[in-house]
Amino acid sequence: MDAKDILGLPKNSITQEKKSRPQKDSQRKPDGISREVYALTGGFPPLIPAIEASQLKKRPPSDEKITWQWLPFTNSARKDNLHLYHWVRIVNGVPPTGDYSFAKYNKSVDIVKYTDEEYEKYLTDPMWTKEETDQLFELCQSFDLRFIVIADRFPSSRTVEELKDRYYSVARAMLAARAPSPGDISGHPLVKEPYNVSQETERKRALSMVLSQTKQQERKDAEVLAEAKRITESRMVARGAEESELPVPSNAGPESAERAAIPSDTVSPSANVQHPSAAVAPSTITVDNASILASLRMLRVYLRTYALDQMVQAASSSAGLRTIKRVEQTLQELGVNLKPRVPTKAVCAEHLELRREILTLLNLQKQEAEGSSYRDGSYGDTPGTPKHLSHGGDQDRIFVPDMNFAGERIGKRDQKRKAPGRLSEAPLPAHKRPRKLKAADL
Amino acid sequence: MINSSSSKQVGQDQQATSEPRSPRPKIKMVKSEESDKRILNKKLKDVEISIPIVYGNVSFWLGKKASEYQSHKWTVYVRGATNEDIGVVIKRVVFQLHSSFKNPTRVVESPPFELSEAGWGEFEIAITLYFHIDLCDKPLTLYHHLKLYPEDESGPMSSKKPVVAECFDEIAFPEPSEGFLVRVQNHPAVNVPRLPTGFTLPPPELFVVPFEDANRKKRGDTKDHPLSQWFMNFSEADELLQLAAARQQVQAYLAKLRRQISMIDGQHQQLKTISDS
Repeated sequence: MDAKDILGLPKNSITQEKKSRPQKDSQRKPDGISREVYALTGGFPPLIPAIEASQLKKRPPSDEKITWQWLPFTNSARKDNLHLYHWVRIVNGVPPTGDYSFAKYNKSVDIVKYTDEEYEKYLTDPMWTKEETDQLFELCQSFDLRFIVIADRFPSSRTVEELKDRYYSVARAMLAARAPSPGDISGHPLVKEPYNVSQETERKRALSMVLSQTKQQERKDAEVLAEAKRITESRMVARGAEESELPVPSNAGPESAERAAIPSDTVSPSANVQHPSAAVAPSTITVDNASILASLRMLRVYLRTYALDQMVQAASSSAGLRTIKRVEQTLQELGVNLKPRVPTKAVCAEHLELRREILTLLNLQKQEAEGSSYRDGSYGDTPGTPKHLSHGGDQDRIFVPDMNFAGERIGKRDQKRKAPGRLSEAPLPAHKRPRKLKAADL
Repeated sequence: MINSSSSKQVGQDQQATSEPRSPRPKIKMVKSEESDKRILNKKLKDVEISIPIVYGNVSFWLGKKASEYQSHKWTVYVRGATNEDIGVVIKRVVFQLHSSFKNPTRVVESPPFELSEAGWGEFEIAITLYFHIDLCDKPLTLYHHLKLYPEDESGPMSSKKPVVAECFDEIAFPEPSEGFLVRVQNHPAVNVPRLPTGFTLPPPELFVVPFEDANRKKRGDTKDHPLSQWFMNFSEADELLQLAAARQQVQAYLAKLRRQISMIDGQHQQLKTISDS
């Protein structure tokens, strides 16, 4: 870029300078406060203006006379009638009224209360004595249902889940007993979603296992999941070729989310993890295309270039910006115009298909790259980061360089590969993309 | 892209076309307004007609005669891609010029749809195409950036050779009316796809032509247009060839990659069973 500036027209650089200077000037002008003070607050305009700069120079209204007095006060949240003293801002001789300002934060939970008769009637339990239950409820009251604390303070050792279970079943039983009819309480969360001890214990155990997973195990899991995904994907593609109509992707969403939450550490891949989410990828392509065609038919007249744009957008909706740029780069390498010069129906159809194929190719390459790095980590002796794999990797494996159409570099097997005349043999400029492993590196 | 799910269509059409014909065997040219309208307005699904057009401008530098405000003489136009007469589809074209021109909204009522002016500046021209009412009542707007100066800024400007900027596109009508289809089915400017099997159009005599073709004095096509020597050539075949070659390459590469992956997976499976046991 510098060389161009030197050799190119000088007026370019002048216009660039002019443009950058007025921009900088407007940035440096804070309103209402001096520049040094502004710099103290960071020097840049805040994301959310906390204080108006004009307010900083405001003086308090002169008609009010402010004095400060050392006065006693009480707190309605306290039960012991303690009198403490503090400074109070007096305006025009009138002290402020009202309760202590922090009293409103003294909230507590309403704990279920039972009488002894009610206990005898509804709440007896083989696992719990009345004494223990009473103790539990006292602690619940004083600690506002903070079960972790309660479990700590509880005299006999009970797990948090057991305590919760006892409390919630008592609460539910009391609710049921006091309710006029069962229908009234059916909407109450205690009844609708009862506390499930076994599920909770299991969930916590699973969480702790995820937390304590070693890095190696983590990698193994991810690799297993990727493998399963690939298997199901290939299965879905085979099935999708037969069914041309749109499968419902909405079902796939919540299912896959649930499955992802439960880690599968030792179980074999295909049995447990069926990935309906994989079905979403190929199906969304057909969904979008059909909807685009339908919307085009709604228009009474349209331009072919417009139709092509819509379909290209739909096809690239699943890909990120970077992938789209790579597709375009590939098109350029292949010598194809990004926008066809003669956009007839046939040409547009071909162009769209080409884009789709390139997208598939890029995705497959990306998958392969990810998969191979994990594979190496799991049975290689060096558990380093993927960057180190380039030196310790599998010798037999032919790591395909990214989009390199030149034959010689690809490996021992492909000696005879001839690229058509249009493509250049030189590799792509390395600074444009992160440098992938080339066979020459090994 | 036209799927031949036309069995339903054929049935409907046969019904429709047989109705007006059978009760009136003796009348051929004189028909009631309503039945005409019905047939004229009946839309055909699955039959998309397209009109390939080229739009753009040709601009000549005035050389010695150039003044400060009129340095170039240019013509902006819309023509059929093969220089056929597009007046059969387009009723009129409105060119919206830069506001510094007097009467910037220029209407051209008949083909060839072109507009010539003199000026010095490049700007975007909005070209609005109005179609015949029986084809489409909604206009379509194209945008063209007027090009006066050549790409190579440092080269000498010649008053003999013009600067040409053209753009190819296709206008697509997804559901043309039967009446229109009949009128243009053999017209060279219009691409009518092959009709679904078993589908027949009623003969043209049934339709009253909405305008008088024969009375138009001027030629609508641009084959012998004075500027035709500068028109660019747009070859669909070249582009198709290019795309086909590119696709072949990508497919070959894809196949190779897939083979490699399955090979690696095979190795991986073997190693995994060894390491797990």
